[in-house]
Amino acid sequence: MKIFHSVRPVTLTRMAVSVLSSLLVLSVFWVAGCTKKPEASITTIRFVTWKPNQPEMWDEIIKNFEKEYPTIKVEREIGPHSSTAFHDLLTQKLKNRSKDADVFFMDVIWPPEFASAGWAMPLDDLFSSAEREKFLQGPMAADTYNGKIYGIPLFIDTGMFYYRKDLLEKYGFQPPLTWPDMVDQAQKIVTGERKKGTEIAGYSGQFKQYEGLVCNMMEFILNNGGHIINPETGKSSLAEKQAVEAVQFVRDKIIGHIAPKGVLTYQEPESLDLFVQGNAVFHRNWPYAWEVSNNPQKSNIAGKVGVTTLPVFPGGESHAALGGWQLGISSFSEKKEAAWKFIQFVSSDAIQKLIAVKAGKAPTRIAVYNDPDVLKVNPQFTDMKEVFMTAYPRPRTPLYPAVSNVMQRYFSKAISDPTSDIQGEARTASGEINKLIEMAK
Amino acid sequence: MRFSIAARERLYAFSLLTPCFLFVVTFAFYPIIYSFYLSLHKIIIGLPALGQPFVGLHNFGELLHDGIALHALLNTFTFVFISTLFELLFGLVIALAINRSFRGRGMVRAAILVPWAIPTVVSSQMWRFIFNDKYGLLNFILYGGDTTLYRAWLADPLFAFTAIVAADVWKTSSFAALLILAGLQTIPEELYEAARIDGANVWQRFKNITLPLLKPALLIALLFRTMDAFRVFDLVFVMTQGGPADSTNVLQFYGYKKIFAEGLMGYGSAVSVFVFMISLAVSLVYIKSIGSKMLSEKE
Amino acid sequence: MMKNRWGDIAFYTLTGGIVFFSLLPFLWFIDTSLKTDLEITSVPPVLVPSGSLQFYRSALERYDLLHYVKNSVITAGFTTLITLLISMPAAYALARLRMRFKKLFLYALILVSMFPQISIAGPVWRILDSLNLLNSYPGLIMPYVTLTLPLGVWIIASFFQELPRELEDSARIDGCGHFQTLWRIIIPLAAPGVFTAAILVFIYAWNEFFFALLIMTQQRYQTLPVGIALFQGEYTLPWGDIAAASTIATVPLVLLVFLFQRRIVSGLSAGAIKG
Repeated sequence: MKIFHSVRPVTLTRMAVSVLSSLLVLSVFWVAGCTKKPEASITTIRFVTWKPNQPEMWDEIIKNFEKEYPTIKVEREIGPHSSTAFHDLLTQKLKNRSKDADVFFMDVIWPPEFASAGWAMPLDDLFSSAEREKFLQGPMAADTYNGKIYGIPLFIDTGMFYYRKDLLEKYGFQPPLTWPDMVDQAQKIVTGERKKGTEIAGYSGQFKQYEGLVCNMMEFILNNGGHIINPETGKSSLAEKQAVEAVQFVRDKIIGHIAPKGVLTYQEPESLDLFVQGNAVFHRNWPYAWEVSNNPQKSNIAGKVGVTTLPVFPGGESHAALGGWQLGISSFSEKKEAAWKFIQFVSSDAIQKLIAVKAGKAPTRIAVYNDPDVLKVNPQFTDMKEVFMTAYPRPRTPLYPAVSNVMQRYFSKAISDPTSDIQGEARTASGEINKLIEMAK
Repeated sequence: MRFSIAARERLYAFSLLTPCFLFVVTFAFYPIIYSFYLSLHKIIIGLPALGQPFVGLHNFGELLHDGIALHALLNTFTFVFISTLFELLFGLVIALAINRSFRGRGMVRAAILVPWAIPTVVSSQMWRFIFNDKYGLLNFILYGGDTTLYRAWLADPLFAFTAIVAADVWKTSSFAALLILAGLQTIPEELYEAARIDGANVWQRFKNITLPLLKPALLIALLFRTMDAFRVFDLVFVMTQGGPADSTNVLQFYGYKKIFAEGLMGYGSAVSVFVFMISLAVSLVYIKSIGSKMLSEKE
Repeated sequence: MMKNRWGDIAFYTLTGGIVFFSLLPFLWFIDTSLKTDLEITSVPPVLVPSGSLQFYRSALERYDLLHYVKNSVITAGFTTLITLLISMPAAYALARLRMRFKKLFLYALILVSMFPQISIAGPVWRILDSLNLLNSYPGLIMPYVTLTLPLGVWIIASFFQELPRELEDSARIDGCGHFQTLWRIIIPLAAPGVFTAAILVFIYAWNEFFFALLIMTQQRYQTLPVGIALFQGEYTLPWGDIAAASTIATVPLVLLVFLFQRRIVSGLSAGAIKG
């Protein structure tokens, strides 16, 4: 029939050719992607880290390590810096039992989870007790699970209270010792500045529904004499009076009042941004913010920044949340010795000093705090040493991610809705947290 | 002789379908059944020492009491309802507009397809930037240079939810428009002519000719959009991560968090089975009402 | 005449509005990608960019964007090829041959396209884990093929349906067996439909996020959507870089759309016409 005879076999050939050639092209890509570099006698270890703020510093550290250990090469695998996103990605790798991760960063809250799941290998044999004494005890405790050590703390973070020295001087204030004082001062300064035509926010912090929210809120609770987990009973005390009061204070006096409602969408970058652009009087953040806010290339308020311990509520003691990053070795790694050498190098006095000087990160080796070079660049370390020593950990449990999600949910709901039933929500959250803690026993 | 020809044809047809069948069974049907299996056990990745005990329907019992899951269910249904409604509405308007032949119609259609073609994570970042409380375009358009009026859209539970709906409607109205357009093009011009001669005005023509004859196309658009809206994930992941205060926590995101972030694989599987059952129920309803019509032509 | 002019004005305004809103966010992002750091963070926002290409440079260098592009090209490309190769015979069987359980197959395919990803994600992950295919191209391509098969079969089948019934009969008279009929006659004639299916499958695979996020945890294998979703520096939210990367990620797709809009429209509406 007509239709049949009008089909040209050429069409089919053309199609076949294009299919085959695209297959060929794609295969080239594939092969290129799968080619492994020849190993020879060089051991390559993969270091899983987040995107650093000072990539040049890390390049230098790795270069120095490879110079000292010419048979070991370090390949970096860079992940997102959001702690939650980095956690999900890293744990995916470890669940995959991937042999391609040898050394990795752990947030201070992860060692129990990683230890219990068998992802991080115990380091007791490699890490002598003499060495352990040289480190701050807070992070060391965080790296311990069931009596074994699973990580080496590299630097410590705690919540610090930053303020605009110049503005406080202008209005004749001393840095506030209590939160109510801070609210008072903030209101006066904001009103005063507004009269002169400048809009400025009173306070900037991290209140988005993520891990950082737990740190911020925990600090408010602790400084009111409350706890998330009662240290004696091991159960949640979120529904107790002091904890509820603190949350209520944040909802009623801070969010949408002296802090713009936008802080409910802020993690560290956005909240710091507000401060360094000169648009906030007070700011809560980790130690790294000191370097950023005093750097004239990154900040409009260089030289006008003061830092001190967090304010308390009347009758409470100042506590800051313990943060920081630890280095661990994957249980599935086939290059454990090389990995350990790398960790030893990076956590040595010399490198911790380098990181402190170049990136403003607080070291975990006690000796480094007495180094004059370090203190010259970071004068605040002298005053803040006490804070580092007494930083307070978040709940330590293998099911921390689930516990954290419960807390994030509760806090976010409590502070973003002016009509929220804080006591009721706290009770629900407590119940869930207790259930999870029970499961992990 | 006839008998074996038909049988041979059947065998031939089955062999052609085999590769397709294999993929679908291995990577779709088997996983669903496996999900059911997982949901009947207690599996916590972070606590391998506990093993994987069989717990029957315990996870589902917990699910029914899980306020957050039920809230996520509500969020999902609300999202599906509102976004589908607007997508169909806008889709209809767009389809009616581009049904006419005019110069540059191709370019217009391409422009409308751009939102659909962009990866959802990219459009989520775009909208997240537009809704930003300081640098956002929306604040600038609404309030100009007066920064004191700028709002933090994604900080408010209600507005964050609206933002997600807006981003989704923007992205997929064009898809709905195309499905409706196809339907529009099957309506014979003579019907409109006859109506015009009879003195019917635009609205009457629309109501009595266009709408009724568009019903099948509208139903198909409704089906596709509902199923897609039910599976919303990318938008929530990039724009709000479920917050603030869980106001944008949808079922798929909740399940993802449970399984992949918290390692509660047994319970998370129960959530995913739950999502599947609802999805299945809704899709069966749709398929029943339009499916038989579609498939009869393919026999 | 007057009425027509008002109608025309209304029409062109409406159409112009639709086009504007469709393109606005995208254009704004391109605008942003051409600014400098200060222009982006200025409050209120600067409308006209300075044309700085710094973010394109950093997206390509610091964030290694081309690497993600390569991974996306490989996964989307192979997915498209394999899906087409499997869809064509399947569509033919469903559209043109007599067989039992046809309705069942079609229902099953439609259902697969409606599965919420979360319902199959966990087990798919486990399957790939046991086959040691996590963090590998086949590991992502196989689920992608499964998810795009309904789309491919649907579109190609509807094109097959358009062909005259007599084709098979005349082929048989000319002495062609079943297989020859399919490959030498039917498929070339349905080439436009196949091409349309290819475009749609490619776009779907290129944009997919959920499975890419779960299966590719090594940066080495991650695709573009995952790269862009996880764009975050240590203490900065690099909007400029995100905008530049997004522009690079979407320009190929936008080009595809402008070149092939007619095919895409006909492909997407194929189902509706049959309905």
